Amino acid sequence: MKIKYNIVPCFIYIFMALLALICLLPIIHLVAKSFSGYNAVVSGSVAFLPKDFQLEVYDYVLHNGLFWNALKNSLFITIVGSFLSVTITVLAAYPLSRKDFKGRKFILLMYVFSMLFYGGTVPAYIVMQSLHLLNTVWAVIIPFLVVQFNLFVMKTGFEGVPEALEESARIDGAGTFTVFSRISLPLVTPTIATITLFYAVNYWNNYYHAMLFITKQSAKPLQLYLYELINSASMLSSENAFEATMNLPTSGMQAAAIVLGMLPVVFFYLIAQKYLITGMTIGSVKG
Amino acid sequence: MNRRTLKTNSSKSYFRNNWVLYLMSIPGLIYLIVYKFFPYYGLTLAFKDFDMFAGRNLLDSLTKSPFAGIKYFKELFLGSEFWLLLKNTLIISFYKLVFLFPLPIVIALLINEIKTISFKKCVQTIIYLPHFLSWVVISGVFFTLLSSSGVVNTLLESLGLDKINFLSNPENFRFLLVFTEGWKETGWSCVVYLSALTAIDPALYEAAEIDGANRLKRMLHISLPGLLSVIMMMLMMKIGNILQAGTDQILVMYNPAVYSVSDVLQTYIYRIGLGQMNFSLATAMGLFESVVGFILIICANSFSRKYFERSLW
Repeated sequence: MKIKYNIVPCFIYIFMALLALICLLPIIHLVAKSFSGYNAVVSGSVAFLPKDFQLEVYDYVLHNGLFWNALKNSLFITIVGSFLSVTITVLAAYPLSRKDFKGRKFILLMYVFSMLFYGGTVPAYIVMQSLHLLNTVWAVIIPFLVVQFNLFVMKTGFEGVPEALEESARIDGAGTFTVFSRISLPLVTPTIATITLFYAVNYWNNYYHAMLFITKQSAKPLQLYLYELINSASMLSSENAFEATMNLPTSGMQAAAIVLGMLPVVFFYLIAQKYLITGMTIGSVKG
Repeated sequence: MNRRTLKTNSSKSYFRNNWVLYLMSIPGLIYLIVYKFFPYYGLTLAFKDFDMFAGRNLLDSLTKSPFAGIKYFKELFLGSEFWLLLKNTLIISFYKLVFLFPLPIVIALLINEIKTISFKKCVQTIIYLPHFLSWVVISGVFFTLLSSSGVVNTLLESLGLDKINFLSNPENFRFLLVFTEGWKETGWSCVVYLSALTAIDPALYEAAEIDGANRLKRMLHISLPGLLSVIMMMLMMKIGNILQAGTDQILVMYNPAVYSVSDVLQTYIYRIGLGQMNFSLATAMGLFESVVGFILIICANSFSRKYFERSLW
């Protein structure tokens, strides 16, 4: 009886462990490849551990001017973009969380409508061009300045602050802004952490708007640099695999660049993920 | 009259006391108007013969371009290109829906059964991770894995099997799209279901256990019904977004060899709009997508609100 009872959980544990492996192994493979020697990479014999360990490709990538420039752009976009986004989102979400805020319904409707009805790629391009923002990092920041979903998560966060707390502060003579900054803001820190993670990851990972709005090399963010690196090599050619790999000493270099490109996100995710779950739960239940 | 003055007085004092709230709303509203609403004016491009050099900048040119009526919609709907794109869009969305929609539900139910907290946390952390990687990175990861000299093909070869062309063979490409989408989003999609599961009253499970229901029965008769409304809501959301077959993903992963099976509305808009500068046609197609998408999501939401008492917003 006892054995039978244990079969089900055992199956679940094995299944979940397999699932976690499926998520991790492709990444581990890439990391292993980035540390492996030329011959091992070319012969395709690297699995999940580096073969003929070397660091030259990292050395090469890290001494590449284009990589550094792209990294610099991405850091600027992510840090400045997230800061602006979080500030604007928090400011916009607070009034919307107050039931007595006149005009609340109308403003909410505008945000929802803008989320559901997309203005289109070409009109967005025209706006960017007319604002003289093409080929600047701002072209990649502006599209995500306020992400409606994050605004709603933030609004739900503020709605979770007990009204009695704000009320008592008001009775003590605190003005609207003091109530906001001294009472509400400290209580929604986990939600702020969550949307900061969302915004930062979004900015870091965004290549789409960079593809639309940026053609100048000096303004390209890291993801666009990586995209061009991946697609410039003849990885896709299938007819003559051997020849394709021969002109691919880049394969290891690509791997190294991709690893460097995802490292900050992984790092940031691991730090912020404990807030993430609480913040997301709030957002998704009441959404 | 008296009443009226009282009302204006009270709204005056309301503004005096709460002007800060309006001040706080301003940056968001400016953004909304400039970047979200202003492009709506740009949609008139679909009804105009765009002359790029008519004005000082593109916006000015847009205003000065002559009207063309529904010329570009005719071009769109009468041409064969559009129908192929629509077909690809629907097929890719449909595959993703059928193969990927049930997965997170099953996985969330299983995670919910894990009683070892540390193992549970660890699994969750790992399976959420791919969601945070960009499509560029993911395409890099899978191209490395699946290219003709990649480890998968090397393995196949050493087993005496034929190599498989995963990346540029039209027969396999949609499979690759579905698989990588699943790899990226399945774990993260569990979050919604897991949070809905925590809302189920534990007393229900205890009562069922006393009545002799085993683990599977409890899963089927308590957990699953408890999830039903969330499942339907997520399903509605997917159906509402059916015209977005995953543009971000396809744009980084496809190549001319697989255009025939993977070119969707948005990728085509990108290529003819910004690549060939055929602004009017691209806008017409974009307008079609926006309108149909809007109708779909509104219908899906009212359906969900009516039958499952859950709204997407």
